[in-house]
Amino acid sequence: MSTTTTIRPTDLRSLRDAVLDTAGTIGIAGAGTAADWAGPLAPVDAVLDTTGLTGVITHNPGDMTVSVRSGTPLRQLQDELAPHGQHVSFDAARIADGATVGGLVATADAGPAALVFGSLRDLVIGVTIVLADGTVARSGGHVIKNVAGYDLTKLLHGSHGTLGVLAEVVLRLHPVPERAATLAIHCSLEEAAEHAATVLGGPYEPAAMEWTSDGVLLIRLEGTADALDARVQRLRTALGTGELLDLQAHSDQGADRDRTEQGLPENLGTGPEPGDVPPAERAAPPSDERPVRRIGTDESAVRRDEPWERYASLVRGAPEFATLRIGVRPSLLPAVLADLPTESVTAGLGTGVATVALPPAAVAAAHARVHAAGGTSVLRSRPAGAEVPAWGPPPSAIAVLRAVKAELDPQGRFGPGRFDPWM
Amino acid sequence: MSVDSGLGSRVKRAFETALAPEDVIGDPIRCRSYECDGLTGYRVVPELVLLPRDAAQVAAAVRVCAEHGVPFVARGAGTGLSGGALPVAGGVVISLARLKRVLEVDPVDRRAVVEPGVTNLEITAAAAPHGLYYAPDPSSQQVCTIGGNVAENSGGAHCLKYGFTTNHVLSCEVVLPDGSLVTLGSDTGEQAGPDLRGVFLGSEGTLGITTKITVRLLRTPESVRTLLADFPSIAAAGDVVSDIVAAGIVPAAVEMMDTLAIEAAEEAVHAGYTVGVPAALVVELDGPAEECDVQFEQVKQICDRHGCTRLHIAGSPEERAAIWRGRKAAFAAVGRISPDYFVQDGVVPRTRLAEVLDRIAGMGAEAGLRVANVFHAGDGNLHPLVLYSAAAGETERAEKLSGEIAELCVELGGSLSGEHGIGADKACSMPKMFSRDDLEVMRRVRSAWDPQGLCNPGKVLPTPRLCGERPGRYRPHPLEEAGVIERL
Ligand SMILES: Cc1cc2nc3c(=O)[nH]c(=O)nc-3n(C[C@H](O)[C@H](O)[C@@H](O)COP(=O)(O)OP(=O)(O)OC[C@H]3O[C@@H](n4cnc5c(N)ncnc54)[C@H](O)[C@@H]3O)c2cc1C
Ligand SMILES: Cc1cc2nc3c(=O)[nH]c(=O)nc-3n(C[C@H](O)[C@H](O)[C@H](O)COP(=O)(O)OP(=O)(O)OC[C@H]3O[C@@H](n4cnc5c(N)ncnc54)[C@H](O)[C@@H]3O)c2cc1C
Repeated sequence: MSTTTTIRPTDLRSLRDAVLDTAGTIGIAGAGTAADWAGPLAPVDAVLDTTGLTGVITHNPGDMTVSVRSGTPLRQLQDELAPHGQHVSFDAARIADGATVGGLVATADAGPAALVFGSLRDLVIGVTIVLADGTVARSGGHVIKNVAGYDLTKLLHGSHGTLGVLAEVVLRLHPVPERAATLAIHCSLEEAAEHAATVLGGPYEPAAMEWTSDGVLLIRLEGTADALDARVQRLRTALGTGELLDLQAHSDQGADRDRTEQGLPENLGTGPEPGDVPPAERAAPPSDERPVRRIGTDESAVRRDEPWERYASLVRGAPEFATLRIGVRPSLLPAVLADLPTESVTAGLGTGVATVALPPAAVAAAHARVHAAGGTSVLRSRPAGAEVPAWGPPPSAIAVLRAVKAELDPQGRFGPGRFDPWM
Repeated sequence: MSVDSGLGSRVKRAFETALAPEDVIGDPIRCRSYECDGLTGYRVVPELVLLPRDAAQVAAAVRVCAEHGVPFVARGAGTGLSGGALPVAGGVVISLARLKRVLEVDPVDRRAVVEPGVTNLEITAAAAPHGLYYAPDPSSQQVCTIGGNVAENSGGAHCLKYGFTTNHVLSCEVVLPDGSLVTLGSDTGEQAGPDLRGVFLGSEGTLGITTKITVRLLRTPESVRTLLADFPSIAAAGDVVSDIVAAGIVPAAVEMMDTLAIEAAEEAVHAGYTVGVPAALVVELDGPAEECDVQFEQVKQICDRHGCTRLHIAGSPEERAAIWRGRKAAFAAVGRISPDYFVQDGVVPRTRLAEVLDRIAGMGAEAGLRVANVFHAGDGNLHPLVLYSAAAGETERAEKLSGEIAELCVELGGSLSGEHGIGADKACSMPKMFSRDDLEVMRRVRSAWDPQGLCNPGKVLPTPRLCGERPGRYRPHPLEEAGVIERL
């Protein structure tokens, strides 16, 4: 195998030059937190490392928008926004591991907050991309309302580094809620589904609702400090059960609020929690960028975040299993999950999105089961060396996907292998 | 006007086989009903109008187009304000008016599956018995179709909090320009591979024709609070909007009107607005009752702090409806204070509202024309109404001013269009907002979907032909003249 060069541009111009000056195939790499998601990257001539493209370009607090270079870790961006009482309403599990804004868009990732705010596709309002021929193109802009031209962001969302390099991203921001509280209910998936129906059928407006195979349903409410107590009590009464985990613990100060919102303890830093799956060795950024995270000294702070931390670690998967992300109609989710030989499950009962750990040998059948239910599935991680199908049956519009790839990257330079066998 | 000798009887017969002979309209008089959309200054009579009855017939019709190289334009209700459904000379119009079944309302998964010809409001009507509604609410919602909304990525007064059509459409069944039928998107927000549904949304009918749409439904909010507040200046009203945002409140809607717009609206519908005040705001909050009450108090205090001269809180659903009636009547009402007007649709970052309004006023004064403003203040989406008199020979000046306002929005970091789309109207302004490379990449994307270039050609991206032409005089849409819909 030929030697792979790694290029680490630090601005848009050098990124473009890097693409133009390299011959052959290119793997686009962010922080590497999703390096083994989707199909395995075939050997490439060069790796384009985006982690030098960092920093906020403009933050307009009054407009609630921010533009940022794609290699910026989202966690770092959230830290910069927190003093303004703003954040990106997005809480994918791998943010804690340093996932970059570009990588999060490219992998179409999302967390429990998707119940209200959707995935990044719903929060990105503008983008600058570099194509395989060095073309730099922009779409969208800095205003939340904009219907001029095609929305190229959407095309890159879920493209896993195969259509172009995201260089800059403009995001819509939301206010950090004054308070958040989580109700935890110990129950089976079937019982959780019944509770979910009650929650969604009433005026409770949950901010997130996830069941995990630890046998717990987590329901998060967010809002103003003055109104939240009453809302939580009302929900608890309606459900007739529920352990209130963090109502008192929440302070309503800026940065602290933000961390809580992200499910991170304060004083944090950035490295993985004990027990988390470490990101692939090769993709780990230099150690000076990754101070070890200290657990908050405030006992209550740790306690209140625990269920969501535990949730995130289940989403991140375990090295001995394959991790599959699936989406089906919410009401079909329990039945589909019951048919899969899962080792662990997190299930968004309002969104229909679940992350499951499976034996690698069960993945092909799982893709088929989800597809039969009209859903979608993508492989997230696999045990090192295991051959596991990344994709289920191709979508009906596969010809359009291939044509788009042929138009934007006719030589197939970016991300070879990622969409095998689709394209 | 179509100039060539027609599509020929062979092609016409092919369409008649694909549909039924009576569903293929060739009579030029009947075809004339389809010569324009809401942007009535541009008119082209199509060669044929096709009225398919289901998705299979749409696909069959498009296959005939592909086979014979006939350009086609999809048409919903024809309320578009940017000439998106403007026919192409020598081409056909495919009307989706007959695909209007609500196929499914699923209260458990909170979604509806509908055909493209269903109107926006009919979705909410079908969902309402379950305590659900469809959030995007263009002012034309009682007539415009969901197919048109998908094509335009339509917005409305409540999009600040709830997002646009693209945030509410889960999947679309689409007839591609080669006549194949595919599904874009899925049953959840989750996706496998690039988001083609997201690219299709807002592509203004240039990538295919949607024949079935699955939308998300939301629970009707428990509580809605609405107020109307008068201010001594546009700047003061603008500061209120900023302070609401700074307080971490995301209102369901924040709308602003200036003196001229208020005067026109009040004269038309007597909704209780104060004639003569420099600016009025409509602020609406919704959500859980406790939450709404707390934030509504905050909003009232913010209004007071900025010298609010009158605060009217809707005490009943009727009073709320009256406030909105005034707001929504403003566009049509402007017709009472001016013989003719252009509606513009630009966006600026919200923090530059005062600046842009100031400059618009200056530009209007310079041009010797009045400009009325009614707009979505929460998301910076302006709808300046350039008032003029065609009889007095002001048309060209007004058109120029209107175009300059849109381009001013781009200069201030905004967008050429916030919700009405680019269509035929602004295609020639696209280079003001996007570079040649940006546009070339969009063209490549389009070409991937439509290599033959038959699907609504000439829209969105600038073409020499279109940019060389001048539109005819603006005329109100027939539906507006009939008082069925209003502009917003
Ligand atoms: C310094 C470094 C060297 C590496 N060397 C090798 C190597 O020699 N051989 C090898 O096989 N792998 C290598 N990798 C890992 C490999 O490149 C990954 O598979 C990479 O493609 C994905 O990393 P990561 O982006 O997942 O992280 P994430 O940021 O989580 O990205 C996940 C996905 O998003 C895509 N993506 C990330 N950022 C962007 C962006 N800005 N625009 C568009 N798409 C984006 C990626 O291509 C990937 O598919 C290396 C990674 C790094 C950081
Ligand atoms: C008084 C008035 C008020 C308005 N207020 C608003 C507003 O508040 N917000 C807003 O966003 N818009 C508004 N509009 C503009 C217009 O109503 C919207 O753009 C609407 O979505 C158009 O729907 P339609 O069914 O009339 O589409 P048409 O005008 O028939 O078509 C619009 C575009 O959609 C394409 N199209 C239609 N159906 C399909 C299909 N099935 N598949 C693919 N493409 C298709 C057409 O080719 C065309 O490009 C207003 C218009 C009027 C006249």
